[in-house]
Amino acid sequence: MRPILLQGHERSLTQIKYTKDGDILFSCAKDQVICAWFSANGERLGTYHGHQGALWTVDIDPSTTLLASGAADNTVRLWDIRTGKCVKVWNFDTAVKRVDFNEDGTRLLAVTEKRMGFLGTIVVLDVIVDVEAEQSDEKALVITCDESKATVAAWSYLSRYIIAGHEDGSVSQYDGKTGELIYNSPAHEEGMQVTDLQMSSDRTYFITASKDKSAKLHSSRDLTLLKTYLSDTPLNTAAITPKKPFVILGGGQAAMDVTTTGARQGKFEARFYHKVFEDEIGRVKGHFGPLNTVAVDPLGRGYASGGEDGYVRVHAFDRGYFDFGYEVEREVGGAGAGGY
Amino acid sequence: MSKIANRPDWADDDEFDDPNALPPQTVTTNKDGTKTVISYRFDDSGKRIKTTRRIRTTIKKETVNPRVAERRAWSKFGLEKGHAAGPSFDTTSVGENIIFRPSVTWKKDGKEEKKVGDDPKEKLKNMKVKCRICDGEHFTARCPFKGTMAPMGEDGAGGAGAGATADGSDDGQPKEGGLGTGGGGYVPPHLRKGAAGAGERMGGKYERDDLATLRVTNVSEFAEENDLREIFERFGRVNRVFLAKDRETQRAKGFAFISFQERSDAAKACEKIDGYGYGHLILRVEFAKRAT
Repeated sequence: MRPILLQGHERSLTQIKYTKDGDILFSCAKDQVICAWFSANGERLGTYHGHQGALWTVDIDPSTTLLASGAADNTVRLWDIRTGKCVKVWNFDTAVKRVDFNEDGTRLLAVTEKRMGFLGTIVVLDVIVDVEAEQSDEKALVITCDESKATVAAWSYLSRYIIAGHEDGSVSQYDGKTGELIYNSPAHEEGMQVTDLQMSSDRTYFITASKDKSAKLHSSRDLTLLKTYLSDTPLNTAAITPKKPFVILGGGQAAMDVTTTGARQGKFEARFYHKVFEDEIGRVKGHFGPLNTVAVDPLGRGYASGGEDGYVRVHAFDRGYFDFGYEVEREVGGAGAGGY
Repeated sequence: MSKIANRPDWADDDEFDDPNALPPQTVTTNKDGTKTVISYRFDDSGKRIKTTRRIRTTIKKETVNPRVAERRAWSKFGLEKGHAAGPSFDTTSVGENIIFRPSVTWKKDGKEEKKVGDDPKEKLKNMKVKCRICDGEHFTARCPFKGTMAPMGEDGAGGAGAGATADGSDDGQPKEGGLGTGGGGYVPPHLRKGAAGAGERMGGKYERDDLATLRVTNVSEFAEENDLREIFERFGRVNRVFLAKDRETQRAKGFAFISFQERSDAAKACEKIDGYGYGHLILRVEFAKRAT
């Protein structure tokens, strides 16, 4: 496969995300601009200007009408995807590290940083999926994390729960309506931050990546640990591939440690693991720095990775990827693992 | 400027009925549905070239999600505002081809690959230490019989080699040790049995790998040893890089020597890097001639 290199950012990437149809890819970096790209040919559709600080996160509503972004300028902004205009700004006390739309795009959660005496919170905002509509200033729900701040969060199936990953390596489940803490389980090693949390396409299970060099698959309903994927480097991101039963992990040494070790030891590769058997099945090289974010095309045709080096690499899977299957899978399914 | 240039000059008018003018392109449709396009052009040396192309047009239907199709038609905004459709060269490029084939034995395959480029450390691991005096598994210097027993070779016990040579390597040169067996007096180390090769020649420690040393000339003035090392390291283990520098200005003098571990690597590098552009110059690589 020949990756498409996107050079729209001057600083390291923080998050990339596909639309639900997989046709547009959004990328945000610390350089205050969001870029929209056609994933098929790497053409840039446009850029979104307005943020005054490093961008940490983006998300797209399922109908590809609105784009939400969170940044270090303590705001969450809502954008008209088609024109690039900002339609709403919500102000917070601290930086916003993660935003996530629920399944129908009517609720948006935002994770705020713990800083300057403010505790980390998860805020839920009601959104009207219409560019013209007047969005409410009201915060529908505020969950305060007094133990360890949340670093990442996402909505579970039917918006029933909010799943959050914390700085101390634990994962917790909150009620989506009342904000009540239901479970908190120590998913990763104590004190090892959860760096990414991505839902499966039906949001019934999710994957977490952590600095403790492992990624784990949990069920959304009761946070049961389903699978563990071990690697040899701190992980920044993890994604679940649709169509094929794989997961993609990305990481590499922290940018600050890179100069103190050999260039070849960087481990700046995307690692593919089998979702069920937990074996590593391959790696994709390319980045010059650690991978900060990986996103998978919701239709399973490819994936994209964004690195500390400021590049986004968009890969379209080729035959070898789709043909691969374990012996057992072939015997049972006949057509590989089409059912996943 | 360009407008004037485009307008035909009155002085060139007669060129219009010039027999040298190119006939127009012709397109004919063939029976089997293909098209034949015949076009003419002048090549660099002024010759007329006729190009005949046969084109078959096939219509391939692709179903696209209507929402996706609609979005494809959106006009650009932000930094891309007003730009034409299609990827722009300053933001989008295509990377080199990556072969990605998931496999269950991925880890094992990777390790085997590493083994091929054998590590000298690995080689040493399998090597057995053998005492020259008592044939025991320790270094000669640590032998308990040191001083009380003569080395094995002395009384013609034969067979055994020295310190840390791989088995078999000393079978090739049994004669060398023979020199020392005669007198029983002092035998200089390089003449002792099994001191194969290493002590034979005098000179710097690099001399012996002359065979795997390349001479690189036409090196840029601003080259650094590390850059050269990087270029050559991809072919195999590089023992030494020597870049001649001016003593006063510290600039490169334009030539360098690269010593490889293996001659085969050197040969490969010689073949590949000869003619390689580096800095603004084209490198010339050849095997170094032995200094006599």
